[in-house]
Amino acid sequence: MLAPTGPEALAEVVRELGARGEAALVRGAGTELPQGNLPRSVAAVLSTKALTGIDVLDADEGVAHVAAGTPVAALREQARSEGLEVPLDPPSPASTLGGALAAAALGPRSLGFGRVREQVLGLEVVLGSGERTRCGGRVVKNVTGYDLAKLYVGSLGTLCVIEHVWLRLRPLPEETRVVAARVSGGEEAPAAALAAARLAGVRAAALIDSSLTAELGGGLPEPSRDGHLLIVEMASDAPVVAQSAAALARRHGGVTVPAGAIDAVAALEGAADDARHRAALRFRVTARPSRLVAAYAVLRAAGALVVTHPGLGLLCARFTCAVDEGAKHVDDAFATAQAAARAGEGSAVLAAAPDFARAGRDVFGTPPASVALMRRLAAELDPKSVLNPGVFVGGI
Amino acid sequence: MQPASSRLIDALRAAAGADAVLWRAGELFVYECDALTHHTGRPAAVVLPRTADEVAACVAACAREGVPFVPRGAGTGLSGGAIAFGGAVVIECARMNRILEIDPVDRVAVVQPGVVNADLSRAAAPFDLHFAPDPSSQQACTLGGNVAENSGGPHTLEYGSTTAHVLAVELVLASGERVRLGSRAGGEPGYDLTGAVVGSEGTFGVVTEVTVRLTPVPEAVETLLAIFPDVVSACHGVGAVIRAGLVPAALEIVDRRTIAAVEASVYAAGLPLDAGAVLIAELDGPAVALPRQVERVRTLCGANGATRVEVARDAAERQRFWRARKGAFGAMGRLAPDLYVHDAVVPRSKLPEVLEAVCAIGDRHGLTLSNVFHAGDGNLHPNISFDRRDEDELRRVLAAGSEILELCVRAGGVISGEHGIGAEKQDFMPLLFTPDDLDAMRRLRAVFDPERRSNPGKIFPTTRFCVESNPKARGYERVSFDP
Ligand SMILES: Cc1cc2nc3c(=O)[nH]c(=O)nc-3n(C[C@H](O)[C@H](O)[C@H](O)COP(=O)(O)OP(=O)(O)OC[C@H]3O[C@@H](n4cnc5c(N)ncnc54)[C@H](O)[C@@H]3O)c2cc1C
Repeated sequence: MLAPTGPEALAEVVRELGARGEAALVRGAGTELPQGNLPRSVAAVLSTKALTGIDVLDADEGVAHVAAGTPVAALREQARSEGLEVPLDPPSPASTLGGALAAAALGPRSLGFGRVREQVLGLEVVLGSGERTRCGGRVVKNVTGYDLAKLYVGSLGTLCVIEHVWLRLRPLPEETRVVAARVSGGEEAPAAALAAARLAGVRAAALIDSSLTAELGGGLPEPSRDGHLLIVEMASDAPVVAQSAAALARRHGGVTVPAGAIDAVAALEGAADDARHRAALRFRVTARPSRLVAAYAVLRAAGALVVTHPGLGLLCARFTCAVDEGAKHVDDAFATAQAAARAGEGSAVLAAAPDFARAGRDVFGTPPASVALMRRLAAELDPKSVLNPGVFVGGI
Repeated sequence: MQPASSRLIDALRAAAGADAVLWRAGELFVYECDALTHHTGRPAAVVLPRTADEVAACVAACAREGVPFVPRGAGTGLSGGAIAFGGAVVIECARMNRILEIDPVDRVAVVQPGVVNADLSRAAAPFDLHFAPDPSSQQACTLGGNVAENSGGPHTLEYGSTTAHVLAVELVLASGERVRLGSRAGGEPGYDLTGAVVGSEGTFGVVTEVTVRLTPVPEAVETLLAIFPDVVSACHGVGAVIRAGLVPAALEIVDRRTIAAVEASVYAAGLPLDAGAVLIAELDGPAVALPRQVERVRTLCGANGATRVEVARDAAERQRFWRARKGAFGAMGRLAPDLYVHDAVVPRSKLPEVLEAVCAIGDRHGLTLSNVFHAGDGNLHPNISFDRRDEDELRRVLAAGSEILELCVRAGGVISGEHGIGAEKQDFMPLLFTPDDLDAMRRLRAVFDPERRSNPGKIFPTTRFCVESNPKARGYERVSFDP
């Protein structure tokens, strides 16, 4: 494993790999679940774990400059001591900042925080071609030059290795409260949940199928059989939280539950498989808000266990299969997820699954027509495919 | 500039119709500049297509004739982005001004690029929705221009610049190919090419359709007007509000000179002429949250030297407060024939010292410099009133401009927050970026437009194309209106 300790050493490693015609798998803490396509052959693992440190945490300005290998949790802790929040919600608390940006996955709290791309003010990166470059800056508003950061965020470690980040921070909310409510079964549940997600001050809202609630741990109301549990986190000024909590109590009989409930939901989606012989196939399906109900119905009819994030237009669907059932089951699950995506007018991605389920397929499904431009972009910035070859859309 | 070849004119007419092509000198004259009047470039022709197909046909015609093209919206840009270099054809999107769809459940609108910013919010109003980016030019500027410049406005502080509101675009590339990027549901797999197109200043092709998010109209709004003895204490007030963890919808400062100009104009808002500066602070959101926030802002302004804080009692008074801000540029027309609206950003905590230094630069060059700006974002707009026929004054204006940009960069800032680089600031890009940084941008451009035929001569540092774009070489030279 290569773990350069500084930006110049990182650039040197990338240049050497390129010169030798070799490729590397880029890793943060290595905590992220296996994502993207299985990589084509790589000679080494390139880790950012030795690139750590919070250089700037400017509370007056509400920004931080952080090395990419820094765990998000470490930044969160320091920011909290200054009354600030890190508006990122990566799947694992141990995720590094670089990993969280490269994956750019939505977490439940993305509803309140906004997308990962909106939090990134500037990036210093090492391109696949070996140059150290930067884009953006430390200020909160900036149109100086092309917005390359948008491309690096969500690039799954292709194009470049993120080395440093200028990140926007937000003030901590005055009050945070989590409310859970039983929502009767039936396909209209996502529509009711959407209305709840749109109440003022809501930071996260998840609708959980009854058969998944057992995994959430204690302190929550029992869902009625075949019903759902709606978990809503509010984070705002105290009067706003009180008002929205009252609305949830009126509409759904919602009660206050332990503050960690939303973290439990996130953990539910990120949990590793528990049984040795059964594998979980985790899909992320997006849908227009007005089509959530339709997308949800397709997934449920096929027996998937679903956590719906109505405010994000996101359905996290889990299929379980026996490992020895192999590829056939994966094909069926993929077909279902794609049918749901069509119903939702969104897209479906096999977000996490064991290697056997990812082998020989594009987990992103059929690439969009713009994949030709994406290939050109990769060819410009990482012409020798040094970084994470094959893991991205269309096998980029 | 050579007159356009008749072959080019014929090809454009075939592409978009005979009534869609302007080519006579008198017709082209108005396209020589945008709202940054001291940079000019005359196009070979102007074409006004109605559909994406026609745009593609126009672009293809340009390709065949070997001429570059420049997309144009309303021409309100402030960095010379929409002016034509190298005999380019202007593709003006004014006729593509239809709102194709508003979906109140998805909170999404699909529009053509020539739709005027304010028209979209008006059309969304019956659904209690609006398009949040609100440039001060919103009664005129177009969505295509907003996308190209990643425009902001007073309410960017809370809602973010245009990029945060664009879900998908359709683009005609310089090759004539039509591509769709992004998706309405979001989360489309792949690189965020939509994010790269926003802010690309017309150099990636012509945007022919935009899918944007619409934002709920807030339940309640409170607008405060705080009177400060000087602009520096107003900046301290802004710093205190940000540090206190409040997130107002807008925090705008108007300085003494601007107040004087506004009060002498049709936009007069009844501001005290002895005020050193006013801060307009707007808070919006759920009604239950606002009373306490209003009190906190009031207290923080007082603690930082505000002599008086008024809270708008009704919508009419709110509009009166905003008139001082929104009418500022118009009012400055009274001060001198030309206005150079600068645009730079510094960390908000640096505003007091930077503002002081900016004013000192203006004074040192003997210029009329006023400030009206998005203080909450640290986004400065030092405005210099001048007369470009006065060569010496123009020279001082440009010298002061470079000093201001250098000052902002030294303070940890950048050289544009919302107006773009265009033809105005390209030679300042090396203040912020190394050759390798710029090369990464060139490589991105090559993905969309390898032959650099869409809006050439912008953004990247370059030796000037021709004497026409050299501001020092141009006074009020007139073109003849021959047919
Ligand atoms: C009085 C005044 C106040 C202003 N206030 C603000 C403000 O508060 N905030 C702010 O951000 N800006 C402001 N501006 C600047 C300007 O209004 C914005 O940049 C606006 O978005 C430009 O829109 P437009 O339609 O006029 O574009 P144009 O000026 O016509 O063009 C601007 C750029 O966009 C490109 N472009 C236009 N249409 C397309 C298209 N369809 N496809 C691809 N590229 C295209 C052009 O090539 C050019 O590079 C102000 C300007 C004035 C005159």
